[in-house]
Amino acid sequence: MNNIQNFIEKFLEAVDFQDPVDVTPETVLTELPEWDSLAALGVIVMFDIEYSKTIIGDDLKRCVTLQDLFKLLER
Amino acid sequence: MGLSTLRNVRFAGMASCIPRRVLSNVEDCPPSQRAERERLVRNIGIEHRRISSEWQCFSDLAVVAAERLLDELRWSRSEVDALIVLTQSPDYLIPSTAIILQDRLGLDHATIAYDVNLGCSAYPFGLHLLGSMIASGAIKKALMLVGDKCATVRDPLFSDAGTATALEFCEGAPPMYFDLNSDGSGYKAIMLPVGGHREPYAPHHSIPHRDEHGQLHRPSDLILDGPAVLSFSTQRVPPAVERTVAYAGMQMDDIEFFVFHQANRMINETIRKKLRLPEQRVPSTLKDLGNTSGASIPVTITARLTEALRDKQQRLLLGGFGIGLSWGTCILDVQNACFPEMLEA
Repeated sequence: MNNIQNFIEKFLEAVDFQDPVDVTPETVLTELPEWDSLAALGVIVMFDIEYSKTIIGDDLKRCVTLQDLFKLLER
Repeated sequence: MGLSTLRNVRFAGMASCIPRRVLSNVEDCPPSQRAERERLVRNIGIEHRRISSEWQCFSDLAVVAAERLLDELRWSRSEVDALIVLTQSPDYLIPSTAIILQDRLGLDHATIAYDVNLGCSAYPFGLHLLGSMIASGAIKKALMLVGDKCATVRDPLFSDAGTATALEFCEGAPPMYFDLNSDGSGYKAIMLPVGGHREPYAPHHSIPHRDEHGQLHRPSDLILDGPAVLSFSTQRVPPAVERTVAYAGMQMDDIEFFVFHQANRMINETIRKKLRLPEQRVPSTLKDLGNTSGASIPVTITARLTEALRDKQQRLLLGGFGIGLSWGTCILDVQNACFPEMLEA
């Protein structure tokens, strides 16, 4: 089941932040202190390997919150 | 349709040479960036890199590799009919480095020598070019030198190396299978925007500016669009591998080792997982030798497969991909070929 909690766990693993952060569906990606190009690459790989879904850098740029990211799975 | 087969071409041997100087991605950076570097290293999988001395060109490493290979093969210099150099770091913008090396290596004037401008994808394209000349019957023995001088202290990805590969005409040699592709619409993903005829160097190109993270950049710096390169590599390479295997009438299990260009761990692991290949069949040198551009396939073979290839006939699949954008796959059988140990200079 692709629920958003499960998605957030995978997200935190993919972005590999040095400092732990609390993340909810409403969290704004650009407000995460370590949201950077490396984290973006991790998320692209996560979509590909975990969900067999192809996304590109521009898809990520259009996402404001975690919820927006999660919605990419429904495309 | 980039699929093709070459017959009567034997893979005679290969040698690789890396600089002696070792850089640590974690230790050789300012203490304030240490934590961020550790995270980066975990993800790109590159702990150490090799960097040339200031005076050293890629060709200086390649010459060491070529001389050792010629000596071990016991080929006389006059037997080498062609010398093709595949690099993006030539000695000079003009003339071709290959022609300079014809003289440095003491080859005949009758040697065909020129450069090919390819980077990370170079190796399969070079095998195809040289192999085609040999398969046509035009020449009998040839060398290709592949590699780049691309390491800088600041950039954590790139590492230097020069390699030499020898091919020869041999009636009945196992066929080599190729799938070679190019997509120029993605040329901006990896490029040096300044210094060519579109935008010649001017004084303002050396004035640095700060980005939003406080890092200094010059307009003449290498552009590398990480997400674009990641998407290109992980979307294009796995189907190309499967297509080449099917074209050769093989199964994935018919191939012992899959040697890919060493881009970074995220890209290489994604490709490996998408192809459902076990780690043992996909050798890697990222950790110790970084991304050695077009040299990364031969460098990985020299560093990881020398013993396995000396013992018995092995079937390899080689996959190069990157700047261009360009991606190529080759399946070849290697038997009784010459593999000197890793050289340093």
